[in-house]
Amino acid sequence: MPERILLIEDDQELGSQIVESLKKAGFEPTWWRTGRHVEAQQLPGLVLIILDLMLPQTYGLDILKELRSTGAEVPVLVLSARNDTADKVRALKLGADDYMTKPFWPEELVERVRARVRRPAMQRGDALEIGKLRIDLASRGVSVEGGAIELTRVEFDLLAALARRPGVAVTRGWLVEHVLDPDREGNERTLDVHVSRLRKKLGAGVRVETVWGIGYRLGTEAP
Amino acid sequence: MKLRFLGGLRSRLVIVTILVTVPMVVLLMWLDGRARHRAAAYALSDGITRRLQHPEERTRCEASPSTWGRPRPHGRPRPADVPDGPPRPRPRPPPPMFPMGAPPVSYAYDEHLVSANPAAPLLTAADRRKLDESSMAVLDRPWYGDDVDVLVRTPWGSGPCSFVLVHGTTTPGFIGALLPASPIWLLPLAAVLLAILIAVGPMVARIRRLTAAVQRSAAHGFSGRIPADGHDEVAELARAFDAASREVQAQLAAKDQREKTLREFLSNTTHDVMIPLTVLHAHLTTLREAHASGRAPDPLILTAAMDEAHYIGALLHNLAIAAKLDAGAPGMIKGPVDLNALVTRVVSRHAPIARQRAIALEHAIPEKALATEADVTMLEQAVSNVLYNAIRHNRTGGHVALILEPRSQTRFRVRVIDDGPGIPPEQLDRVAQRGERGHAARTRAPDGQGLGLDIAHRVASLHGHKLKFAESEYGGLEVEIEGDQIDPSSLRKDSITSA
Repeated sequence: MPERILLIEDDQELGSQIVESLKKAGFEPTWWRTGRHVEAQQLPGLVLIILDLMLPQTYGLDILKELRSTGAEVPVLVLSARNDTADKVRALKLGADDYMTKPFWPEELVERVRARVRRPAMQRGDALEIGKLRIDLASRGVSVEGGAIELTRVEFDLLAALARRPGVAVTRGWLVEHVLDPDREGNERTLDVHVSRLRKKLGAGVRVETVWGIGYRLGTEAP
Repeated sequence: MKLRFLGGLRSRLVIVTILVTVPMVVLLMWLDGRARHRAAAYALSDGITRRLQHPEERTRCEASPSTWGRPRPHGRPRPADVPDGPPRPRPRPPPPMFPMGAPPVSYAYDEHLVSANPAAPLLTAADRRKLDESSMAVLDRPWYGDDVDVLVRTPWGSGPCSFVLVHGTTTPGFIGALLPASPIWLLPLAAVLLAILIAVGPMVARIRRLTAAVQRSAAHGFSGRIPADGHDEVAELARAFDAASREVQAQLAAKDQREKTLREFLSNTTHDVMIPLTVLHAHLTTLREAHASGRAPDPLILTAAMDEAHYIGALLHNLAIAAKLDAGAPGMIKGPVDLNALVTRVVSRHAPIARQRAIALEHAIPEKALATEADVTMLEQAVSNVLYNAIRHNRTGGHVALILEPRSQTRFRVRVIDDGPGIPPEQLDRVAQRGERGHAARTRAPDGQGLGLDIAHRVASLHGHKLKFAESEYGGLEVEIEGDQIDPSSLRKDSITSA
């Protein structure tokens, strides 16, 4: 079922472009050209409200205030042309979840929307599952497509550190400090050696990517 | 003028003086009258008591109650008072008990307060009641009159002379009075009044002169001085006016300065925005021409056009912040800032343009949220400027990384690393010192740093952050912003950036 997003935006041009971008990104946008109170029966199935602060007749924050006073918890992304701290503080105090300043690229909006409605990563108890990779944190067991893989302590810690936040880059410095054996002298070169061994053991099914200027991350897209 | 006469200082003074003096005089006279009456009543009662104690007096009175009590000449016994019989030596007459005023007259009354004397005043029940409580009563007589009446119960208290009324008068100058006998005392009072009115004359004239001076000064935009000579209150007032007008003048000058700054800012801003907008026009025209002649649009021109649009957006944000910073005390609103969220937002802002330019933009944030105390708009713009600078000056296929990490337990750092052309080492210091050297260079300065880095400098110094420029290990530039962390638990819904 597509995720419904309510867009409250008075500008014809901008509104239709946002609607277009959201549709392309797989959402189901509803567009209100004027600001009005969001009724309780409109809330079910709504994953996000995108609210322009400067609407004719209505003050966008009033809509937000009313919405929150009814106890609705649907996330609200506020759009504003004003890059103003006081506005942001006010919007967030009234219960906005995020704030976006114009101008923005459609991709930026979609990315922010996705970040807002994204569900937390799958984690069942002590097990992490990323694509074909499965990590059992308690028994320190790793398998790819069901086949168990033997890892050293450092290799396992390295993989677990990356797998806790799949798709997110982790700096070399952090890995050296938290993953390498503190008793042995370890540096970034040592780390790179461990990573290359880990990659070899995991095979092509799991991608440990090098991130320029930063370190490593666990790829989330299937190779 | 009529109003001025009625509401003027002088007429007010006259009215107030009269309003104060007349009641005062009446009060004085009342007190004076009361005192005279009391003194006379005391003297009368004293005299009659002594007289009635004389044993012969009863006989005399009861003998002729209708005539008893007429005044007798001082010092000499009246014929009626002299009992028949051989003359006998009389004691020396007592000193006159009623030294001034008319000699007192006594009237005898019987038990029912009826007098045989036709000249005796009628007594009322109220007068009678006064005698219930004591053997002597001073009857109520108006304080402004001369009459004093004292009613006495005789020691024997029966017969036609049961009661005696003594009538006397108060006299000007009587002992115990407050005011002198003659109304001459009103003269000095009048003199004081006159003196006040004369003294107030020059004061009124000075206040009028001061009014005129203030009006003149106001008419000329408070530019003139208001003369203040002397050391009294009027001079103080003039000095206060002078200080106020100088303050107004200073405020006006400051306002003029602000307006001038604003006008300059507006004109500079317009200029700064018009250039990239014109470039954008040119790019769009080229694209349209390509389309018209059936050629595929040049992706380089497309990228340049998008870049220009992105640049205009960043420029406008920077100009808005520059306006705040230029306004003197910048309107910073500090609060807890979620640095992880801030970095993520900055990256997502510039990711589309980096992608368009085929520049790999990577970022890293720590697993646990880092927080700091800052004005979120300013700090975000500073980080954004540093990052956009790295993207903008990089070449196709280049790399830019934005890294947020704890520097220590209490410090954080944001690093922007690129493999672009960088800045020659001999110029690094110059870039790093821009903040201290002012911000003359504007958006498209020849070195290409412009307004963005200038704002990064100023924001860093406002927040007490360290801003460092160095050559990156990849040959490009590495910029570092370092500052204090705060407890990330202060990041709740009410903080700026709930990620």
